[in-house]
Amino acid sequence: MKHLTTTLSIGALALGCLAFAADDLPRHPGDIAYPPLAFNPPSPSEYRTTLPDGTPVFLAPSKEFPLINLVITFKGGSNLDPAGKSGLAAMTASQMRLGGTASMKASDLDERLDFLATKIGISSSDWTSSASLNCLASTFDESLAIMVDMLKSPGFDASKLEVAVAEAMSEMKKRNDSASTISGSEWRRLSYGDEHYRGQQMTEAGLKGFDAASMKAMAASIFHPGNMKIAVTGDFDRKVMLEKLAKAFSGWTSGAEQANPPVPATSLTPGIYHVEKDIPQGKFIIGLPAITRDDPDYIPFMVMNDILGGGGFTSRITPRVRSDEGLAYSAGSQFSAEVFWPGQWRASFESKNATCALAAKLVLEEMARIRSAPVTAQELDTAKKSFIETFPETFSSRDATLGVFMTDEWTKRPGDYWTTFRDKVAKVTPADVQRVAQKYLDPSKVTILVVGKWDEIAKGDQGGRATMAMLEKDLGPVKHLPLRDPMTLAPLPMK
Amino acid sequence: MRYLISSALALIVSAAATAQQLPVEVFTLDNGMEFLLVPRNDQPNTISAGWVAKVGSANERPGITGISHFFEHMMFKGTNTVATRDPKRDEEFRTGQKALRDRMNQLIWGDQYARYYRGEIDDPWNPANDTPELKRLRAELKGMMDAQQGRANTEAINALQAKLGSMDPAKDADAMKAAQAEIAKLEAEQKTKGSIVKDEFDQLYTAGGGSRMNAFTSYDQTFYFINVPSNKMELWCWMESDRLTDSVFREFFSERDVVHEERRLRTESTPTGTFDEQFEAMFWLSSPYSWPVIGWPSDLNSYTMDEAQRYFQTYYCPNNLTGVIVGDFDAAKVKPMLKRYFSRLKRGATPPPVVTLEVPQLAEMRMNAQAETEPQVEVRYHTVPFQHADSYALEVMSQILNGRTGRLYKTMVEGSGVASGAGARQDSRKYAGAFSFSAEVKGDATPRQLEDGWYGQLQRLQAEPVGEQELQKVRNGIAADEYRRLQNNFFIMLQLGVSASLGDWREVNSESGKLLAVTPADIQRVAKKYFEPTNRSVATYVRKAAPAGTTADEPTDPALAALPPQMQAMAKQALKRIAAETDLAKLKEGIGQFDAQAAAAPEAMRPFIGFMKDRMLARIAELEKGAAPAAK
Repeated sequence: MKHLTTTLSIGALALGCLAFAADDLPRHPGDIAYPPLAFNPPSPSEYRTTLPDGTPVFLAPSKEFPLINLVITFKGGSNLDPAGKSGLAAMTASQMRLGGTASMKASDLDERLDFLATKIGISSSDWTSSASLNCLASTFDESLAIMVDMLKSPGFDASKLEVAVAEAMSEMKKRNDSASTISGSEWRRLSYGDEHYRGQQMTEAGLKGFDAASMKAMAASIFHPGNMKIAVTGDFDRKVMLEKLAKAFSGWTSGAEQANPPVPATSLTPGIYHVEKDIPQGKFIIGLPAITRDDPDYIPFMVMNDILGGGGFTSRITPRVRSDEGLAYSAGSQFSAEVFWPGQWRASFESKNATCALAAKLVLEEMARIRSAPVTAQELDTAKKSFIETFPETFSSRDATLGVFMTDEWTKRPGDYWTTFRDKVAKVTPADVQRVAQKYLDPSKVTILVVGKWDEIAKGDQGGRATMAMLEKDLGPVKHLPLRDPMTLAPLPMK
Repeated sequence: MRYLISSALALIVSAAATAQQLPVEVFTLDNGMEFLLVPRNDQPNTISAGWVAKVGSANERPGITGISHFFEHMMFKGTNTVATRDPKRDEEFRTGQKALRDRMNQLIWGDQYARYYRGEIDDPWNPANDTPELKRLRAELKGMMDAQQGRANTEAINALQAKLGSMDPAKDADAMKAAQAEIAKLEAEQKTKGSIVKDEFDQLYTAGGGSRMNAFTSYDQTFYFINVPSNKMELWCWMESDRLTDSVFREFFSERDVVHEERRLRTESTPTGTFDEQFEAMFWLSSPYSWPVIGWPSDLNSYTMDEAQRYFQTYYCPNNLTGVIVGDFDAAKVKPMLKRYFSRLKRGATPPPVVTLEVPQLAEMRMNAQAETEPQVEVRYHTVPFQHADSYALEVMSQILNGRTGRLYKTMVEGSGVASGAGARQDSRKYAGAFSFSAEVKGDATPRQLEDGWYGQLQRLQAEPVGEQELQKVRNGIAADEYRRLQNNFFIMLQLGVSASLGDWREVNSESGKLLAVTPADIQRVAKKYFEPTNRSVATYVRKAAPAGTTADEPTDPALAALPPQMQAMAKQALKRIAAETDLAKLKEGIGQFDAQAAAAPEAMRPFIGFMKDRMLARIAELEKGAAPAAK
């Protein structure tokens, strides 16, 4: 293989392009002999060590640029928001970054960091939080000292909080302005209910209750050495870096690792739901509960979703809805496997009002078809090759690699997951794909959320191929949901 | 604390004076196609590869606006080799479709437009307004598209499926079986008759390990890119040179519907999409930047296959293309491969220049919009294009204004607190440029306050030179970003391709040196030169009143509802302030002011002033009784 390429290259160099008329080129990319690509996923043990206090550290030095990138991840985030104070963890993290420290004024810190061209970010998301630092290697010591000061002794300056609260209020006011935000929050409410943190959102009343005391308590529960892992890439010496980190974090009160987030008590209730919005294009989500990431069906499910709607143009839903009929610009499906509870399978699209019902019908037909007949050998082969051939991209940079290692450790992913991944994908059969589709994708049990102009959407297409009434026959009459007041989330009157 | 060294003025990156250079090898074929090669080993096993056509919406004209972007869609639809099982039959389908569509266009541009001008129909393109002949042609075209896609029997199948749905499994078991068999037969039959292999272009790349395959179109360029495993360089060469020599614009007619959906998604269903489009159209006077990249809706329907082919021949010749390859490869091995595959492209005539220059703006222009969004403002000025000597000072000026320690945040988000966010941007396009300030209100602030805040900042930039420490901070950021921007293959590829399409890829290596050389005097000079009020366009947004009966649980107030809609939002905000006011003296003072203003106010404002005065008097009465506490 290698020989052949070399010979051709020399030939091309010697003879120039005239030697190769178009006829000499392979007639099809399938006729090209590609050199093999050997890739073995890196092992965490090559990168992992610990600080004297036991904090895990992953190090990947490189001399390419005089930069250092440091990321600390913590367990716990929005899942720790107290009742009625949705958004507190996120606000706490951003105020640790913005609110100064016990000994330094916030504005002085910002000036200094900008002068050093150092970027520090502290944020909190679903059930994790993180602090990151990116700086020139020459300013690392000072930059690290500032970051550690923010983490250990946040100042929570009242005037900075006031600015952030006003910004959050402005953002809240826009909640009903675009269909995608309405659809996102309503879907979370349908999926997790009002009781679970995923179904909850910040309100004006909750936000007004954020203060230094509640943020201090939140900070103490997440940001401490018993609950963190560190990753560093860039221009440094391993031994020196370990010494610097040990020194920087010493004397920081440790605590226990945070618990897993609570499992939601509810799940999607099948049916059609609608929120009114006067736009020329309806937004649809069609979804079902799926499986957890560590479920033995995970890989067959992933492959099945890729063939059904996850693989873009190479899947079934996208061409059927987009290119066959021109009903949508984006249409497809995604499979979000959660770590702590079963995730979801979701298809989504936007289409002009008259063709929404038709597009939905096509999606449901494709769900039924992947259950009723095995996928073709070519479809399966393409999906499997795609996962196998793009596998190295998971580890395409040092930062990405260390990120994978940290997540795997937090979520206790089985140690052989990456080394066996490609083999497991290769072993998926058409029967496996059909089996998981039959087990999990029942089109009569879907939840459909519609955001758009109902009277136009309900009527369906001119040709009479689909109306919403046809879907309601199987899924029950539509339930019209109210828009929510953007500041209180109280239901607004419906017309 | 020990780490604060506030007086340090030094440039913290010693190497910055010489700037980090991206090592690029230029490889040019005899046909004029240029390749920029950046072998890089930091991301093993992958290559980011792309090519950019130096054509975008600026090269269009009224009537074909959006064709550059439509083209981008066409480039994924295959060739005589890819995405067809029968190229000859596929060509017959395309020829037939073209004849039908050309005839339809003649009828629409003729009779339907005339009916539209006379006010007889609301939209000449809407199928609901079709004449009988158009209806027939449209159905015939649809039938031919279905047949090409292997869906010739779709209607028969749909009818059978509908029949199946109404059958009773208990009684009609045999009939159901027969119908199912018939459906299967029809499905099998139509598959072999269609000439399209759906989305095979995507499938070949997907199976080959390609990822992030996509393209974008902008004012000045159309860029096609992908990540491939490092052993698949030849796949990229094959696929890209094939579509550059042999694209057949398959699905030319059905893809328009997809682009209409894209327009609905990006422009028509977003809070400010259509307003942004019209602001752009207002701002650019003679420049082709005035129309949207996605095109005006009527043009989207209008372009013909002939025009598309002309466009392709004019702008997609190799001498108008630049390829960019970044990642894990050996240039010595890749160059012969590029030569072998891309030499099959034939050099074309040099594409025609864009000759229309933007005329100087003579007077301030304003757009006062009501939209479903928070009140906001944009103030935009005509400035200078890519690589203009003043573009660097304007860019540094924007950086003085931006960021958490920039002037806008400090004065408008913190300070006066009128903005929840504010930013400035110099947009240096290929043929012209613009500088814009934009901001969104905080709380009850108004767009006017944002605008005034900006003019205050501008005056300061014009009146006094930027301080050394302030400028040094910006320079340090530019110097550090020199390294940050070079850390990712895909991003390096994008930067090189975009710079090449604007006229000079070397800008990637020379820009930061020019930015670092900007002095306080330069900034002051450009702040004076480009920001005359007559050179600005202003867009202000206030929130569009929600339809009656859909707002929060406030009791309906007939007097409020009687006000013109644009005043209702203003009145509601003012009412909140009145309700919160407990100081009698202030309220009484306000009444006096209202009386004074009422005399001078324009006629249109009278109902508002009258309404507000009534409410203030009511509040005063309430307070005097001591009955009502201040509303929270």
